Amino acid sequence: MAAERTLQQIITQLQSNPSLPYAEASSLLSKAKLSLLQLNALTPTANAPASLLLLARSVYEHGALASIRARNPDAFTRYLSQLQPFYELPSVQLQPDAEMRNKVTGLYLLLLLTQGRYAEFHSELESLGTREGIDGPDRIESDRFLGYPVKLERWLMEGSYDRVWKAMKKGEVPSEEYGVFSEILTSQIRSEIASSSERAYPSLPLSSTKSLLFLDSEGAVVEFARQRGWAVRDGTIYFPTAAEAGEEEKEISQMVIENTLGYARELETIV
Amino acid sequence: MPGKTPNSNGGRKPVENGVQKNSKDVANDKSSAAKGKPAAKKGAKEGEDMTVVVPPSKNTKQSSVPPPADAEGDVAMEDSEKTEEELEVKVDPVTQTISDIKSNFALLDRAVALFDARFSLRALRSISSLRKRLNPDILAQVIAESYPPTSPSASVAKQLLSAIGRENVPLGRQSSGNEMEVDSEPKAQAKNGAKKDKEASKELIPEVDVFLAILVQVYMFDTKQFQQGANFSKYLSERIHSLNRRTLDSLSAKVYFYFSLFCEQLTPQAPSPQSPVVTLRPTLLAALRTAILRKDVDTQASVIVLLLRSYLLTSHISQADLLVSHTQFPENAANNQVARFLYYLGRIRAIQLRYTEAHEHLTAATRKAPASQCALGFSQTATKLLLVVELLMGDIPERATFRANNMEQALHPYFLLVQAVRVGNLEDFETTIAEHADTFRRDSTYSLILRLRQNVIKTGIRMMSLSYSRISLRDICIRLHLGSEETAEYIVAKAIRDGVIEATLDRERGFMKSKEVGDVYATREPGEAFHDRIRACLALHDESVKAMRFPMNQHRLELKNAQEAREREREMAKEIQEGDLDEDDLGGDFDGM
Repeated sequence: MAAERTLQQIITQLQSNPSLPYAEASSLLSKAKLSLLQLNALTPTANAPASLLLLARSVYEHGALASIRARNPDAFTRYLSQLQPFYELPSVQLQPDAEMRNKVTGLYLLLLLTQGRYAEFHSELESLGTREGIDGPDRIESDRFLGYPVKLERWLMEGSYDRVWKAMKKGEVPSEEYGVFSEILTSQIRSEIASSSERAYPSLPLSSTKSLLFLDSEGAVVEFARQRGWAVRDGTIYFPTAAEAGEEEKEISQMVIENTLGYARELETIV
Repeated sequence: MPGKTPNSNGGRKPVENGVQKNSKDVANDKSSAAKGKPAAKKGAKEGEDMTVVVPPSKNTKQSSVPPPADAEGDVAMEDSEKTEEELEVKVDPVTQTISDIKSNFALLDRAVALFDARFSLRALRSISSLRKRLNPDILAQVIAESYPPTSPSASVAKQLLSAIGRENVPLGRQSSGNEMEVDSEPKAQAKNGAKKDKEASKELIPEVDVFLAILVQVYMFDTKQFQQGANFSKYLSERIHSLNRRTLDSLSAKVYFYFSLFCEQLTPQAPSPQSPVVTLRPTLLAALRTAILRKDVDTQASVIVLLLRSYLLTSHISQADLLVSHTQFPENAANNQVARFLYYLGRIRAIQLRYTEAHEHLTAATRKAPASQCALGFSQTATKLLLVVELLMGDIPERATFRANNMEQALHPYFLLVQAVRVGNLEDFETTIAEHADTFRRDSTYSLILRLRQNVIKTGIRMMSLSYSRISLRDICIRLHLGSEETAEYIVAKAIRDGVIEATLDRERGFMKSKEVGDVYATREPGEAFHDRIRACLALHDESVKAMRFPMNQHRLELKNAQEAREREREMAKEIQEGDLDEDDLGGDFDGM
């Protein structure tokens, strides 16, 4: 039972100071995983005691959170897949901890969102609907952790970037780990806005561009404009007129001739 | 020739669909019954009652007669040769059922002898008509009569009997009616193949075992003995696995189908990770592996579809996607399996935001869905999903879809949804969702529908851009209930970038200015639409040609005829040349040709 005690210690250590540097946390975690291996509890087995399962689950959960804080998405995904079998256990065998689970899942959703993996995002979302303890998508939205990425995704798709921006400011972020993604999201929406602005506006005054792009100063705007290749003259940004898609890919008449020849060939085979 | 082909096709497909869809339909009916539409509910309830209540009533009638029924059956059969028409009406339902079941044995026998799966399919198709008449006594009687007590398959028969709770029925009971049978034999030869087969070979082919077992499964399912059914199916699937016979393919596909259906009904039901559906997966995967190795198309198709269904029930979308990408759905699978596969594939793709593919698959699924009444549930479900996907793609479904027979009521919530999206009214949209949330959730289209929000907004913006040459952001914000002008600005900018509207924004003065819309007919768009349609027609033609079936070696016969004709012609030509041809002769030959 020595191994179990060490595990307990490591978990309390991880719990008590979440701001532990990643190097330390990861060494603690690998020690914890070694003890789990000794106890044969890396994956849930049918006759493992509930207490041990609980320990194993919290090790992985802490591991997942630590790797997010360390901005290590690969490690996070690994921990998440290790957690999956634990989450699928019946509640008699392992008391579910909905809050922690939602937190981890929410982070995963956010990760998928920032990486632009929308298909997986929606697949994951779909499986949330049938998860035990969540009655329906309404409940997902009202959950602090799960609702956040779901709402962000909707706003991003709609184009309500100001709401995304607000959600990332003002202490709306449900937990510290979620804040990690704010930076990525900000640059993401900024480039989205920039590409929409290029098409939507003929020109923009510098001052209002600042608020449009959520930048702090006009200097930053000029810098940003330079990066995007926009022309700045007299305090106004002029967008390059989108070079009309070069040459007409193919003459319409040529296309018509080609099609008609195709029909003729087909008719030949039929008649 | 052309007359023959459509006939065999037309006769085959719909009925076959009826059989296979039937059980699924029950499930679908239930879901539509719970939809809160009083009329639909009632209809479905009645339908269920029919299947559940009617057999017992027959049961009672039958149990009063059972022992003589046996002898009577044979007499009736004998009589039926003489006064067939009269007896069709008079014949005892029990006897009729028994002889119906037995007549399928002949089909199975032929399937094995000729190695033609069509006969087994025909036998399977009769299940739907038999299903309402089944009861343990009938089954026990058939089993008892079919298996002689000394045959090696007697243990199989015992298993079947114990499964329906009639262990004590002795095997080989037909000996009592044997005399009469012998009497009738010479006359019955042609018509009653089953009996002849029984006389000729005492040893029953495994196909008959499995067929009877399927009937037992059907009976158990209809009487809701799910646990026993699952156990029995487990035993049965193991047995099938050990029998390696290609003629068994279509039957084993059916066995797995019912196996998985039983598991679905067991508690805890599907979304829970402890559901028996999940534990069934290894079995199904093993079956799939074996089926692929044995090139068993029927089982492959059926098991792939079952696995997909199972994954989707527990929302394991990525696993379902992996299954699809790692297996190849057999090309020449039965039509209804293809339809189901396409539906599931469409669902997966829709969830993954691959709408174009989803649309393609779902359109094919709805078209391939049998038009008959018994597969109505499937068509409805597929149509619902198709509608949502069409909306997500930014298309507005045709109004006629909602007016179609049998669809109107089921599709009503979707109709309201389409209206809201078409007009671009966010408020209507939200209320429709709120009102019909339960329906949508039951159809598992809810999360897809939530994604429609952006489409509603886009449509709204497009409507506004079409109606106004210049409109202030403030008005847009008010009309679309967007919350703030900034939001409206971002959304409009995005819409412009996505090519939803042709317009420019003026930030200082805060308005949107629409560009002049060009003439669509000046672009290549109409030409492209025309081209697409022609392509679809050509593809249809190709597929129809491929679907035609020709009798074996028919062409050789024709070749021979042609050869003969040519020879005759040559002879005639020779005769003409020689000049000794009568007028009569010529006329006669012409007639012959």
